[in-house]
Amino acid sequence: MSGILIVAEHTRGALSELSGELIGAAVGVKERLGGPVRVLVLGEQPEAFVDALNLEGVDEILLGRCDTPHFDAAVYEEMVLAAARQGEPGLILIGHSANGLCYGAALAVSLGSGFAADVFGIEIGENGLRATRSGYGNKIAIEVDFPGKPVVVLTVRGATFKPPPGAGTAIVKELAADLSMLSGRYRHEDYIEAPTAGVDIGKADFILSIGRGIQDEKNVPRFAGLAERIGATLGCSRPIADSGWLPKAHQVGLTGKVAANCKLYLALGISGAVQHLHGMKHIETIIAINTDTNAPIYNVATYGAVMDVFEFADALEQASDAIGA
Amino acid sequence: METRELFWGLTSFGTTVFYLIGFSAIGAFFWGLARSVAKYRRGRASPVGLDWRAGTRRMLADLLTHRTLRRRDPFAGAAHAAIFFGFALLFIGTSIITLEYDILNPLFGVTFWKGQFFLLFSLVLDIAGLAVLIGVVAMMVRRGAFRLPKLDYRRAYAGEGELRDAARRWRVEDWIFLTALLLIILTGFVQEGLRHALERPSWGAWEPVGASIGALFDGLQLDAEDVSILRAVNWWLHGLGALAFIVALPWYKAKHMVAAMGSLMARDPLALRRLPKADPGAEAVGIGNVAQFSWKDMLGFDACTKCGRCHDACPARAAGYPLSPRDLILDLRLHNDAEQGRGTGSKRLLGDVIDPETLWSCRTCGACLEICPVGIEHPVKIVQMRRKLIENDQLDPLLRTMLNTIGTSGNSFGEAARKRANWTRELEFKIKDVRQEAADVLWFVGDQASFDPRNQEVSRTVARLLKAGGVDYGLLYEGERTAGNDVRRIGEEGLFESLVEHNLGQMKAARPFRRIVTTDPHSLNTLHNEYPDFGEIAPVSHYTELLVDLLERGTLKVTRPLGLRVTYHDPCHLGRLNKRYDAPRRVLELIGCTLIEMPRNRDNSFCCGAGGGRIWIPDRPGTLKPSQLRVQEAAGLGGIDVFVTSCPKDLTMFEDARKTAGFEKDFIVEDIADLVAKAIELDAIDLRDLPSLTERITLAVAERVAAVVADRIDAVLAGRGVTAVAGLTLPPPPVPVAEGLPTASVEAIPAVGWGIVPVKPADLPAYDVPPRNGIRILVPVKQIGKLSDEFVFTDDQRSIPGEYFEYLLNEWDDTALEQALRMVEAIGGGEVVVVTVGPPAAEETLRRALAKGAQRGVRVWDDDLADADPVAVARMLAGVAAQERPDLIITGAQSGDQANGATGTALARLLDLPHAALVVDTDWNGTDSMLVTRELEGGLRHRVRIDTPALVTMQTGANVPRYATMRMVKLAKEKPIVELAAGIPECAFRAASTHRMFVPPATRAQMMEGSPAEIAASVIKIIREKMGAKA
Repeated sequence: MSGILIVAEHTRGALSELSGELIGAAVGVKERLGGPVRVLVLGEQPEAFVDALNLEGVDEILLGRCDTPHFDAAVYEEMVLAAARQGEPGLILIGHSANGLCYGAALAVSLGSGFAADVFGIEIGENGLRATRSGYGNKIAIEVDFPGKPVVVLTVRGATFKPPPGAGTAIVKELAADLSMLSGRYRHEDYIEAPTAGVDIGKADFILSIGRGIQDEKNVPRFAGLAERIGATLGCSRPIADSGWLPKAHQVGLTGKVAANCKLYLALGISGAVQHLHGMKHIETIIAINTDTNAPIYNVATYGAVMDVFEFADALEQASDAIGA
Repeated sequence: METRELFWGLTSFGTTVFYLIGFSAIGAFFWGLARSVAKYRRGRASPVGLDWRAGTRRMLADLLTHRTLRRRDPFAGAAHAAIFFGFALLFIGTSIITLEYDILNPLFGVTFWKGQFFLLFSLVLDIAGLAVLIGVVAMMVRRGAFRLPKLDYRRAYAGEGELRDAARRWRVEDWIFLTALLLIILTGFVQEGLRHALERPSWGAWEPVGASIGALFDGLQLDAEDVSILRAVNWWLHGLGALAFIVALPWYKAKHMVAAMGSLMARDPLALRRLPKADPGAEAVGIGNVAQFSWKDMLGFDACTKCGRCHDACPARAAGYPLSPRDLILDLRLHNDAEQGRGTGSKRLLGDVIDPETLWSCRTCGACLEICPVGIEHPVKIVQMRRKLIENDQLDPLLRTMLNTIGTSGNSFGEAARKRANWTRELEFKIKDVRQEAADVLWFVGDQASFDPRNQEVSRTVARLLKAGGVDYGLLYEGERTAGNDVRRIGEEGLFESLVEHNLGQMKAARPFRRIVTTDPHSLNTLHNEYPDFGEIAPVSHYTELLVDLLERGTLKVTRPLGLRVTYHDPCHLGRLNKRYDAPRRVLELIGCTLIEMPRNRDNSFCCGAGGGRIWIPDRPGTLKPSQLRVQEAAGLGGIDVFVTSCPKDLTMFEDARKTAGFEKDFIVEDIADLVAKAIELDAIDLRDLPSLTERITLAVAERVAAVVADRIDAVLAGRGVTAVAGLTLPPPPVPVAEGLPTASVEAIPAVGWGIVPVKPADLPAYDVPPRNGIRILVPVKQIGKLSDEFVFTDDQRSIPGEYFEYLLNEWDDTALEQALRMVEAIGGGEVVVVTVGPPAAEETLRRALAKGAQRGVRVWDDDLADADPVAVARMLAGVAAQERPDLIITGAQSGDQANGATGTALARLLDLPHAALVVDTDWNGTDSMLVTRELEGGLRHRVRIDTPALVTMQTGANVPRYATMRMVKLAKEKPIVELAAGIPECAFRAASTHRMFVPPATRAQMMEGSPAEIAASVIKIIREKMGAKA
């Protein structure tokens, strides 16, 4: 087997950050696994993404031309299979994303390859490739091997690996693939924007975020008031948005917003599910308040306190009153 | 001979007419009664057996002593007694007259209504009439001038400023009743007075009232003829008025006179303490239609006199909740009067007549039931209606979650069952495990006392007290589950029954014990009153009773009488419901406390608000917690040191209320056990389990010997130039290999020839797939494991033993199942088949899915599949799908334990189906293609159309999965589950194999300590540092 194949990801003309991170992961094991590192990018005009993908360590960029700019699982799968037949890579990296979930495992079935999902560590062990993933709500880590598999497909966790810093010197090639047998059983209709509700989590620099710990919809206004009083934008975790207690635009996390510009994050009653962490674990200063001393959020927070969120809210109100906010 | 003439001045024609009217009136009266009885008969049989003899005796005692009316309203009690006894005497008097006049005299020529008897008779009746008059006038004044809140029919909690129409009619009815009585009495006295004025009997003084009125008429100086006319007219007025009263009686407020007697006779002495079991034969669960009430319930509706005592007593109403027991009963009465027990009308009982919010507001504290003078059992009806709401899945989502939690982990805190006895770890001794060792007493701890931190402290204190008192007691440890008192009162009867079965089973399998003690009144109530309905159980006492015994015998010695001024809150389930008031008071006395009773104490104790499941349901805005009203009451006493509780929920509620209501400086809240501990200086008592004296001596000697020998050996070896034997120290433990370091180079990777080998579906044994009848949707589900906080790995480090997990249905698959059920319901036909790859224990999850509405289940397994990866699992599912050939496969996007998000997609490829992942909405009419909406990062949604048959994986939040009651789970046992053995060769396939599991090194936040105020101050400081002076 030779080399690593990466599948780049983009939506509506924007390349996802995950693509660069996948390259970083590949480059990290390139030496031990052996090159070349090839990046496959698909679409109507895939050449548009070449510059962004030409990072240090990338050997080839394959352009897979197809007649739709939108994600189609069958097309992706077929193109990757074509690239795999040609390049015979030992490792195929796909992002563990909404799109990746649509075809990664299917690819493993088509190839008869090894497979692991939501991987955050890639090494070489005594049996060959070894991937590390988490289990039971991020409580434990699991190392898996793929004995007897010439090729392994991994879906890689986002916001984990770092893209290579410098630019690369990749050769650009066209991928020849026959898509004629694809029957078009899957047809893109349209996109629906997430409603904004006047809140921009992505731009906010100070966020107060509420989770299941606030217990009831009736308590939301109280925390909204608190956020306003201390000058923070109100955010929330997924269960709050799912239940309709706050508009989706307030949701921080994988299927919500990444708090990209946030400097200070106050998490109240949020346990710290992986998807939520995705949206905020990068933040410089995180303060977590929860009643559960074992909540995973404390693993990424800077400061924490184990206490009742209502008591905390009361105390914070009083403290900020005292300062005369 | 003194007597008087009846039917004075009436011709025989007039008398005949009167008799005719009289008989007609009585006939009409009975007809009116019969109509009501017919209405009751349309109701169901009473679920509780009735002891008529005891009931009748009790009812007569109630009436003769008027005890139910005198309580807490002496004015009304006295006035009513005057009316009642006066009326009763007048009735008896009329009957005596009838006896002689219509029966004994004409038939046998016997007369006795004369002479001394007559005189006494007349005096008594005059006084009786006067009593009625005074009573009625008193009641009129009370109703008109006292402005009692309980007589106000406006529903403050519904924001009513004015009386609604029905309530206006009630008010009119109230006044008509009183006025009618007044007029009858007045016309009666006028008649008497006129008689006295005309006849001036010599014995007139024996009818003092009559004589006085006669004198009045004399004073008017009317001539005899006018008086005669007046007398005749008034006679008819009085006679017809009385008869009209009788005719009308069954039709309005007056009917309480009959209905109340029936209601009091039929009263269940164990009402609410012991709720009726669900009828196993009945189709319907609970009460969802007025015809499902029992005749006793319907009689109760009619017995209500709108006295308002229940309205006054209800803690929910006082705290602003939309529940007034009085209004509930009256609304049910109005509805039943319209339906006449039939329940065929268009108004729905639950929704149109009674708002579910009203039913959920109840605390099942029993205050209404307890004070009702006519024996109406309000909470029992509420619970039965709640059973229906649960069945219909009309419950607060948090309550739904709570019931699921209790179903899975056996406690309301969502903690792993194995942590139930963790509170005992801090004790300096080990408590017996009754499952292994016999004991005198089983201590049934309960959820709140096992898991709530503040109550855990009290549990430890009680454990120490019992140990110091030499009580031989033990626990069931993890075998105990919540006793289920509140689960039953929420209305989840099926779950309650399974809890009873479990707890009784644990007690039966344990070593012998003589009796049960508990610190939890809710557990006490159900163990003592309800569990015997299901099996034998030992007698149950409250820990305060045990403490009294220990203190009185001197086993626990009070060395430091406390000298505190305390007030004591009677817990609803201990006091009012189970009548146990004295033990805690005796304890307080024995430890030297002065008890100042709150105005509402003992049977009138004011509920803390946690009962009836309310501790699990969030509070509405604009309401208080009843506990806040209660601490205000305590603070009003002035100069109280301690507010004493003897129930874990009370402790939690009142500590909270004390803070939120701002009474921190006024008093502290403590459990009675803490006070006893202080009084006997428990801290100074050594409770450790010390080894016996001989053991201790032997150990001391052995240590000395070993020390001497070691010195000798050292000396000998030194003489031989050998250093001390290093083998006495253990080798250092192996250093765990840091993750991420490569242990082999590229060359060591075994070379495998590159090739593509597409995976195929597993070949499973064929089974009988029923013929298709509409759409078939296959829903693969997974039973996931929730890992407890404390766990260990197996020796090979490749898995974790099953005992550290709690198993439940995967949330994503639950959403998928709900989506499938809704699709089939919308399309109007078809079946949902659930399939799982799991061990026999996973059948429970299939049953739950079947309980929610799936028609069939399939389970595939072989022990070799225990560590199967998503692709290996998908192969098995594909093997089933190949036989089922469904129109659609819907599964969860990922599992809650491994979160691969891969099984569904792999399955789609194995079957070559079009597929979409992370779907939040579907639109399919059962034909060739469906529109699905996928959720992408950032909340962006992507809609695609896929041809069917297809596979979709569902994201949570797409719908709210329905709740399956335990009853539905039991019924689901009838639905078929096929078990397929996967077969060894097929099981071998893996796309990945586990090398090892480990706990990743975790960074940890810097934890802030201190009071809330201190922590808040630190946070403000951080905010100002990072964000500038914004906060």
